[in-house]
Amino acid sequence: MGGLVQKVKLFGEYIPWFQAMRDKGAITFDELGLPTPKTEAWKYTKLRDLNTDDLEIEPSNFLSEMRVTAEEACGCHHEDGGCGCHHHHGEGCCCGHHHEEGDCHCHEEGHVCECQQKLQVPFEAYVIHFEKGKMIPPFPDFPRGVEVMNLMEAVITEDAKEYLGKVADIKLHPFAALNNAYMEEGIYLCVHKNVKVDKPIVLINHTKSGEENIFFNIRNLIVLEQGAETEFVEWYNYTGAVKSRYFANVVNEIVLCKNAKLNHYKLQDEAFKANHIALSVVKQKADSNYHNFCLQRGANIGRNEVKVLLNDENASAEVNAAYIMSGWATLDTTTDILHLSPRTYSSQLVKGVVGGEAKGVFQGKIHIAQDAVQTEGNQLHRALLLSDTAEIDVKPELEIFADDVKCSHGAASGELDENQLFYMQSRGIGREEAKQILIDAYLNEALAKVKNPEIRAWLSDYAHAPQE
Amino acid sequence: MNSQKPEIIDESGDKYKYGFVTDIAADSAPKGLNENIIRFISQKKGEPDWLLEFRLKAYEFWKNMKEPTWAKLNYDKIDYQDLSYYSAPKQKVAPKSLDEVDPELLQTYEKLGIPLKEQEVLAGVVAVDAVFDSVSVATTYRQKLADQGIIFCSISEAVKEHPDLVKQYLGSVVPYTDNFFACLNSAVFTDGSFVYIPKGVRCPMELSTYFRINAKNTGQFERTLIVADDESYVSYLEGCTAPQRDENQLHAAIVEIVVNKNAEVKYSTVQNWYPGDKDGKGGVYNFVTKRAACRGENSKVSWTQVETGSAVTWKYPSCVLQGDNSSGEFYSVAITNNHQQADTGTKMIHIGKNTSSKIISKGISAGFSNQTYRGLVRVAPKADNARNYSQCDSLLIGSHCGSHTVPYVENRNKTAKLEHEATTSKISDEQLFYCEQRGIGEEEAVSLIVNGFCKEVMQHLPMEFAIEAAKLINISLEGSVG
Repeated sequence: MGGLVQKVKLFGEYIPWFQAMRDKGAITFDELGLPTPKTEAWKYTKLRDLNTDDLEIEPSNFLSEMRVTAEEACGCHHEDGGCGCHHHHGEGCCCGHHHEEGDCHCHEEGHVCECQQKLQVPFEAYVIHFEKGKMIPPFPDFPRGVEVMNLMEAVITEDAKEYLGKVADIKLHPFAALNNAYMEEGIYLCVHKNVKVDKPIVLINHTKSGEENIFFNIRNLIVLEQGAETEFVEWYNYTGAVKSRYFANVVNEIVLCKNAKLNHYKLQDEAFKANHIALSVVKQKADSNYHNFCLQRGANIGRNEVKVLLNDENASAEVNAAYIMSGWATLDTTTDILHLSPRTYSSQLVKGVVGGEAKGVFQGKIHIAQDAVQTEGNQLHRALLLSDTAEIDVKPELEIFADDVKCSHGAASGELDENQLFYMQSRGIGREEAKQILIDAYLNEALAKVKNPEIRAWLSDYAHAPQE
Repeated sequence: MNSQKPEIIDESGDKYKYGFVTDIAADSAPKGLNENIIRFISQKKGEPDWLLEFRLKAYEFWKNMKEPTWAKLNYDKIDYQDLSYYSAPKQKVAPKSLDEVDPELLQTYEKLGIPLKEQEVLAGVVAVDAVFDSVSVATTYRQKLADQGIIFCSISEAVKEHPDLVKQYLGSVVPYTDNFFACLNSAVFTDGSFVYIPKGVRCPMELSTYFRINAKNTGQFERTLIVADDESYVSYLEGCTAPQRDENQLHAAIVEIVVNKNAEVKYSTVQNWYPGDKDGKGGVYNFVTKRAACRGENSKVSWTQVETGSAVTWKYPSCVLQGDNSSGEFYSVAITNNHQQADTGTKMIHIGKNTSSKIISKGISAGFSNQTYRGLVRVAPKADNARNYSQCDSLLIGSHCGSHTVPYVENRNKTAKLEHEATTSKISDEQLFYCEQRGIGEEEAVSLIVNGFCKEVMQHLPMEFAIEAAKLINISLEGSVG
């Protein structure tokens, strides 16, 4: 069996309100089907390369964990303080090498299990690790006022009940409907009233080599209570798994209560054969501020869609992005900012560099509801084409139902300025180097929007030009 | 109805000053659309077999097509079987001069402000190929044009007199498979204008056609074909008004323009068909396919449009820039008031090298109207050094209207430079206050500001049109302020 619709046993089927959501997701996806080139929201991102037929969903971690607990007599070598990851239970050792019994040394004293050689970010942070879409305990120690759980834990305790599935409208997003159907992995993050988190909270999803044809769904629910502030970073990474094919389907539901502030960063660096489709839906209350920056540089089809609902007065959002690619990739940045109340503000800056036979897609929409007067929405997209075979498709959209507004969008595309290249060459900088400098500078304008300097430096390291 | 004094139907009390119905017995086809109707139209017009075949092929194709729903338009479903596809004023013999034209028709035109008689006297400023419903009734100044080898006649005449030209170019820019409405038009088009400018000729006057929709329940399927041969130039004017009607009228026209090497065509439109009354009742449905193919090197085409009428407008004048160094321009002012809806814009397809295009679109929405600019700029992989500049500005008057901008930009050539800008705002209170302070009434101030807003487009209109268009803008916005 394979494909996007599979029968898998997931944890939590006995929780009626939760299971109902999954069922509705499955039904909705069945009704909507995969987007086709005729689907307006997917006009430029062709899904024919998605090749979902041989994709497999891995068995539930939670269920196998429960089985471990049930079968206490399990002679598994994890018992004495092993790596703690149960995902491979009964399926060979976690180190990924197939070996005869006794061959494995990875759990000998002093040896760190491969899955514990965790990726780190070069800045102080609370890091939560995922591997191919499944969370690896333990959680770091969070300060008081920050509540982080497995999504399923939050479902059981009903902490997630208030918002889960209520922020993202699955009828509009087929992949979110699909995500609903397999909702299980992911985190629930709640920052309590007036708590300002001292370090960024980082979610790293890591896919190793040898992980072929996996389809995984991650669902995160992030709630910032009144006056809360935090930084949240997502990093999708493929270390070593250059040729892996997998499909990551991520949905983030984010709720910002009054006066809350969230800085949300994302680095999409998936393997070049992998597909990554992500949707973040943000619901904002009065005076809240959402700041988003996403750098996309990997995947075969990569789509990052951000939808912001500015529900109350004086809410503001800034959605910036950059993408850089070569090869055959399609990278899609889609934004949808809905101004639903008076005096709401949004701004967007998206910059892209496209080389090889790649295709860059930007679809940005600003919607202003009828009573959302005195709002401001600005948007700018600029892209650089490096090769004759690269392609840029842009659809900036304004949908305005109120008269007292200030809205603008701009889009431009072109190639590197020959005069600038010449200028640098005439000063002794090689042509290739000069190109690099110009491209770096080009993307830098978007990267400069990242507020945290450490995160900006980290992202900048990834925002280098692809080698032609 | 008294033939001397056509009655002005004014149910709504709004300012549609062209709302009258001329009472002429029309020779209509029965309602509905089928093969027989198409044969009937073709036979009525005495068409050759190849044209009938063209129509039937289009009809066959149309039967399997679906009406497009992607536009941001909301209108009652059109029952295509409830329309009459042919109506011609009953006139046995084709008129040879204006004197032979039905005086009632002439009066109608007089009310529209283009008295043919007067024009004849005033001498060759504008030649009018007036279309009344579906058949051309009078064509002036043909002789003068014929002296230079220019052909300007109705398309049905052209089919008879210049079949080779028509056969060569008809459907070559807009094939019948193009879209739902173009396909329908290809099957049932009744009349329109044909223009051919021979090599090296600069057309000495602005060619113009005024057409009106008359006769109840008749969809007007206009077909215009303009061919500008090498090194020629022509400026073509199209203006239209329609009498007030309660039932919605369908209009699905096609304009095809072929521009050869070094030639230039300027096409200007003022459209002020009946927009429906204050509650959105009635009004014309306007689904138009307009496209120009710049086939030769250095060819140039320019679309200028002022859209103030119609309940529903679906219109995207396009330029296919095939020849190297060819250029396309699109200047548009669209004004919607009350419950009007307009989804309009342009397409610029860059195929040849060094092609350039410019889009200036100004949209003004008032009342409960909704307006969308929908444009496409596409650069093909071989269109080196293509250049596009697009600017779409919208002005909103009142808090119940909507203004939307949906540009599509597709770039497949790295040497192309594409820019798109759009802004949306309202008339600033400071500007209004400034005017009022100096004794200019609010309504007048608004029209002053709006005219300033549109100026960039209006200056591209031929002079006679520019004056009428400025007046139209004021009429269209009356009652939307305060």
